[in-house]
Amino acid sequence: MISLAEAAFVLLALVAVVTAAASLLARELVHTIMWIAVFFVDLALVYFLLDAPFLGVLQLGVYAGAVTVLLLFGIMVTRKRIFSREAATGIGPVPVALALLTFAFVVTAVGELPGAEAAPQGYDPSALSATLFSTDGAWVLLLGVIMLAGVSGAIYLVREGRG
Amino acid sequence: MNGLSEVGFVALSAALLAIGLFGILTRRNFVLLLVAIEIAMNAAILNFVYFAAFAPTVPGGLSGQAVAVVLVGFAATEVAVGLAIVLALNRAKGTINVAEATELRL
Repeated sequence: MISLAEAAFVLLALVAVVTAAASLLARELVHTIMWIAVFFVDLALVYFLLDAPFLGVLQLGVYAGAVTVLLLFGIMVTRKRIFSREAATGIGPVPVALALLTFAFVVTAVGELPGAEAAPQGYDPSALSATLFSTDGAWVLLLGVIMLAGVSGAIYLVREGRG
Repeated sequence: MNGLSEVGFVALSAALLAIGLFGILTRRNFVLLLVAIEIAMNAAILNFVYFAAFAPTVPGGLSGQAVAVVLVGFAATEVAVGLAIVLALNRAKGTINVAEATELRL
């Protein structure tokens, strides 16, 4: 008997794979952004299913919110008509074969690892916040420094009067 | 943890990685390349979140969910820099086709 959580996971996983593939195969770039937004929301639901509500909210806010809008902005400022179609690019056999090979390799490699001995358990969001601001605090600082460097670099790249 | 199997999560993550790899290899539009990279990164983040449940508190170790939080921040930064490159490329070449960008200098 398949449990409700398992059925929900199978459904969410199918939606994730279909929307990810559709976003890369869509002919119009705006459709790509729409598909990828559904993909991000779907992954957020997977995180909620995994008892990781903090990551789910982060996924909704950062990915489904900010990244989607940034990508849409990237299309809007580089095109006169945002619904213009992409030129068809041929899908050669080599990329498909490489992708399938990667999939098969990862699944078989993980299948040969010894199974987990400890049973998975839920994750307490307050424990996560405690580690983020105590033992893992250096990583948060590093993230801040890298974000600052990234934003400075982005401003340098697009500033007026270059070249 | 609702008794979800690890095979399903690894298979989903591997499938997303494969789709992202396929996109990186075939797409020539910079925005589509960014989308493909995001899909592949999400595959990695999903792994971190799932396997964090097996060891929520490792003494002195970095927890999987903390890594996932940091990775989400990295991905957002990467998209911001990517968008800046898109704008600079569009200004210099009039297109965002990566096949046209043959020089490091913009």
